[in-house]
Amino acid sequence: MKIETRQEKSCRVIAVAGSADIRASAALRQAFLGAIEAGETRLICDLSATDFICSDALGVLITAYLKARGRGGFLRLANPQERLREVLQTTRLDHLFEVYSDVEQAAACA
Amino acid sequence: MAEGVPETDDLSGWTERTLPTNLGAIRDPEREVLTRLAECGFDEDQRFAVRLAFEEALVNAMKHGNRMDPARKVRLTYRISPERIEIRVADEGAGFNPKGVPDPTCDENLQRPCGRGIMLIRAYMDEVCFSPRGDEIRMVKFRHGRCTGGGTKT
Repeated sequence: MKIETRQEKSCRVIAVAGSADIRASAALRQAFLGAIEAGETRLICDLSATDFICSDALGVLITAYLKARGRGGFLRLANPQERLREVLQTTRLDHLFEVYSDVEQAAACA
Repeated sequence: MAEGVPETDDLSGWTERTLPTNLGAIRDPEREVLTRLAECGFDEDQRFAVRLAFEEALVNAMKHGNRMDPARKVRLTYRISPERIEIRVADEGAGFNPKGVPDPTCDENLQRPCGRGIMLIRAYMDEVCFSPRGDEIRMVKFRHGRCTGGGTKT
């Protein structure tokens, strides 16, 4: 898994490429919670290049979502591939997260 | 005991591995399984499903079963044919009651960061059952969809 961050308008975009599996959870947690601790609370997770996600990684995103929201911000998901979209639907986490078709749209709603 | 899991006499031999309770130990058997699945003609969606269930089962065994105790092992057993894959994962923990796990898809549980593993396994595999103590999970994925009738233990 590879994580890259960038700025999109007023949002911090965290792009996750590859597999968000159990071995990647620690790095994922560090990326999201580290950003929040650094004061970034308007977060977008770019899933366009994420080919796998496990329940532990979903838990990291939920924790980050709650922390960001608790500080007046948000965590939005952008462009999940079909299989990840199905995971979000199966877990009903598409009812928790706002899911956008791309990063630009996610940032435009900020 | 194996309610819901079909007989497997027509499949090739089992592969059995004893894994340390170490999350890093999942990678090699996972790669082996995915390679074998591809060789047997399982498509990408099916490999994604098995990978998800495989990882969730092993993580559950190590984290919740063995409580990350390095003195405890996880026994992984699987066999793969062009028709199906059957996977069994057993830990050395105290077991649990799978029916006692809260439904993570309920509105009141959506914000919980954990507790989705078993639900995902059930959703992505065709047949799933647990040993009476809950210390072993058995799961099956069919390449051509779920069998109807015959071959199911009662």
